Amino acid sequence: MIDPYYLQQLVIGLSLGMTYALIAIGFTLIFGVLNVVNFAHSEIYTIGAFAGLVLITAFAPPLAIVLFIVLAVGAFAGFGLERLAFKPFRRFSDEASLKSRAMRESTLMSSLAMSIIVREALTLVFGSQFQQVPLASLINQPIAIGPITIVSGDIIIFSVAAVMLGGLQYLLKHTRIGLSIRAVSDNPTGAKYSGINTDRTIISTFALGSMMGAVAGILVGLYYGAIFPAMGFEPGIKAFVAMVMGGLVSIPGAVISALILGVSESMATTFVSSVWSGMVAYSFLILTLIFFPQGLFGGGRERV
Amino acid sequence: MSELSRRNLTWLCLLAIVFVVAPAFLAYFDQGYFYQLSTLALIFALLAASLHLVTGVSGLLHLGQAAFYGVGAYVAALLSINYEVPFSVGLPLAGLGAAAVAVLVALPTMRLVSIYFAVATLAIGQMIYLVLLNWVGLTEGPNGLVLSSGIEFFGYDVGARIGTYFVVAVIVLFSLWVIHRLTHSYYGNALRALREDDQCADAMGIDTVRLKVGIFAVSAFFAGIAGALWAYTTGYISPGDFNFANSILILAMVVVGGLGSLPGAVIGALLLILLPEALRGVGDFRNIMVGLTMFLVIVFVPKGLMGEVSALAFFRSRFASAWQGGGGGKVGWR
Amino acid sequence: MNLLEVDRVSRYFDGLAAVDDVSFAIEKGDLVGLIGPNGAGKTTLFNLISGFQPLSGGTVRFSGRTVDGKKPHAIARLGMSRTFQNLRIFPNMSVFDNTSVGAVGIVGQSGWNAVFGTAARAETISRRSWAALEKVGLASVAGDLAANLSYGKRKYLEIARALAMEPELLILDEPAAGLNDSETAELAAFIKTLNAEGITIMLVEHDMTLVMGICRRVIVLASGRKIGDGTPEVVRADPAVLEAYLGTDDA
Repeated sequence: MIDPYYLQQLVIGLSLGMTYALIAIGFTLIFGVLNVVNFAHSEIYTIGAFAGLVLITAFAPPLAIVLFIVLAVGAFAGFGLERLAFKPFRRFSDEASLKSRAMRESTLMSSLAMSIIVREALTLVFGSQFQQVPLASLINQPIAIGPITIVSGDIIIFSVAAVMLGGLQYLLKHTRIGLSIRAVSDNPTGAKYSGINTDRTIISTFALGSMMGAVAGILVGLYYGAIFPAMGFEPGIKAFVAMVMGGLVSIPGAVISALILGVSESMATTFVSSVWSGMVAYSFLILTLIFFPQGLFGGGRERV
Repeated sequence: MSELSRRNLTWLCLLAIVFVVAPAFLAYFDQGYFYQLSTLALIFALLAASLHLVTGVSGLLHLGQAAFYGVGAYVAALLSINYEVPFSVGLPLAGLGAAAVAVLVALPTMRLVSIYFAVATLAIGQMIYLVLLNWVGLTEGPNGLVLSSGIEFFGYDVGARIGTYFVVAVIVLFSLWVIHRLTHSYYGNALRALREDDQCADAMGIDTVRLKVGIFAVSAFFAGIAGALWAYTTGYISPGDFNFANSILILAMVVVGGLGSLPGAVIGALLLILLPEALRGVGDFRNIMVGLTMFLVIVFVPKGLMGEVSALAFFRSRFASAWQGGGGGKVGWR
Repeated sequence: MNLLEVDRVSRYFDGLAAVDDVSFAIEKGDLVGLIGPNGAGKTTLFNLISGFQPLSGGTVRFSGRTVDGKKPHAIARLGMSRTFQNLRIFPNMSVFDNTSVGAVGIVGQSGWNAVFGTAARAETISRRSWAALEKVGLASVAGDLAANLSYGKRKYLEIARALAMEPELLILDEPAAGLNDSETAELAAFIKTLNAEGITIMLVEHDMTLVMGICRRVIVLASGRKIGDGTPEVVRADPAVLEAYLGTDDA
């Protein structure tokens, strides 16, 4: 019989991994469609957390309402980000320029700059310290299941994430917008010539990915009770690692990798202090980049 | 005015500003704050120049330079504290230490293609930072290290102010000269070929992996030197100076100044160090300025401040001196 | 001795043969054309010879030495240089600097030497670069930005860069692509001059007029296999070759 402690760590790791998965999907979607890394994605996560916090402190609505509004805020933030930091570089709408190396490096840097601006703006308004989260809304009520004790947050995160993932799958496979996203990811020029509005598709992709990232932000914020302007950095890196491990363009790959990362991290913290948790992700990243160029799940990686 | 004497004049002006004008200004006002600021500006000029080598010239996007800066600082500090190694020995050792770490890091990752290499540098920078922050037994962690001695030569302490400034200025300017010579040479052309099309460079006979590892190490060497300078001049270092945000600051300097331009990198450094200080009245808006500046430059002036100008002058000077030199005299390329 | 020996060379992708059991040899001083319809495997064969793709089977010998598995730069240093079909010059560098990259790859120049050493190597590199530029006629625009050159001039720049390597074997990848008839004629004359000066040249080409006009020997590839090898007259009359080109308008 497995020591209940490890089972507990497993559960924690899985819910942690689920939040990474939600963020990772945002990275993956945007990468698939634009072949760029959105460095400001972590800040959307933070915006989601802050938006939720503001809402809770002002109106204290039920969690479901908070989540819906955060979804909307996330979508809007994603839209804004795309217009500001990515659109200006798509001056010519041909494939060569859509996925060119110079464009990619410019948008990498512009999204980087954007992330600094957002983070500093949040610091200016809210201060850099942890924000006060009303105790009542924290989602860490312990629940005993047999020999292990988990918290309500674990169940909430898992179910919300499952619903969102399911919704995303449905959207991608059975709706027109999902089809256009898949088409543009595969072949932007071809998609354009088939009459698909690439601009609108890209906006939708950003909105979708950002929605998921924002929700992850508020969920984690309420789970740990820790909301602060720099909170997006580490989870963002870990989600990015999950994306790379998953083969860059595979959503299932990213999700599974995120779960692996989450579990590894929580298992590692049983042996070493949690300050080293970042090492797990970075080591996975380096190992994946060097030894598994196709990603762990053979999603393939585009030759730059 | 011929090209050669125009270039000499530029160097002369630079030397005059650094060694005559600035010290006069500093001595006149004689405030510790100005000394610190000028030293800081010089150190970051060197840091920006070191990143320029690897990102601006060779096209390797490097998101972890602050980590090598940190390695240099900690090597210098630990040697000074634990073994009483003097400045004259600690400085080069710091550079070599950073270069050694860079080689270790570069060998497995150099075959990665551009964006993935960038991400790898980010991860490595973070790993180094985590070690500096958490391996308390070695580095005292977040508490930082206090150095026991400042800049000394054979027991003679140059003193906190003007002496220190001159030492730093000499070292930084010499390093900048070396970097300038490196890039204004056929070796520099090979580096630029890496940036333009590294597969093609391979076909031309250039051992691209070896070249990349080499320049990565050289860049880290100078970052390490900068770190040692920082340690010795401020007397106190802590991991917070060497995190990702600082790597991005250095990158912003190179981008703002114009990729591929050494004077641009230096000016970018001066701008991003001195401007926020000049605008101190604006208080906490300083950090946001870095992000904003970088963003505006990338979107509106993608070649950076000196990108266009320097590029034009660059090619004109090549043509002029090379043509006039006719291969007989000093063509200027090494 | 043969300069280049391609011995039963193959390359498979997922079971499909891009190049299948191809063999031929090139002697010093030859001017050889490699032709074939689209998808015949010319580019793949070329990449196999120059080290850009690994061999699935067979062996390549250059100047008597086996080169399979060698890196492209190692093969370049043995004396093989090339141009690219899709024109890969370095756009943000001057014409002179572009050319010098060819020379610096072969002559070598270390960072240490660049800063503290003597000018000996630099002079060699300068000399070679100027010589190459003069040969292709671009010396007068040496200081211009490569990105500003016209299409035709860029082609010559690529050749200059390859010439700066002082190669034994120069492989030109579709040099006539995008050129009109008079430009092609000029190019043809130029290639003949180069060959007369002692450089062995292999042309990978689509343009029949160019190949049939100047090459002393033509190798034909189709569907990854060699289907012809001989003088232009022989190859032109070969029924197998004609069949492979049926439907193409080129001859």
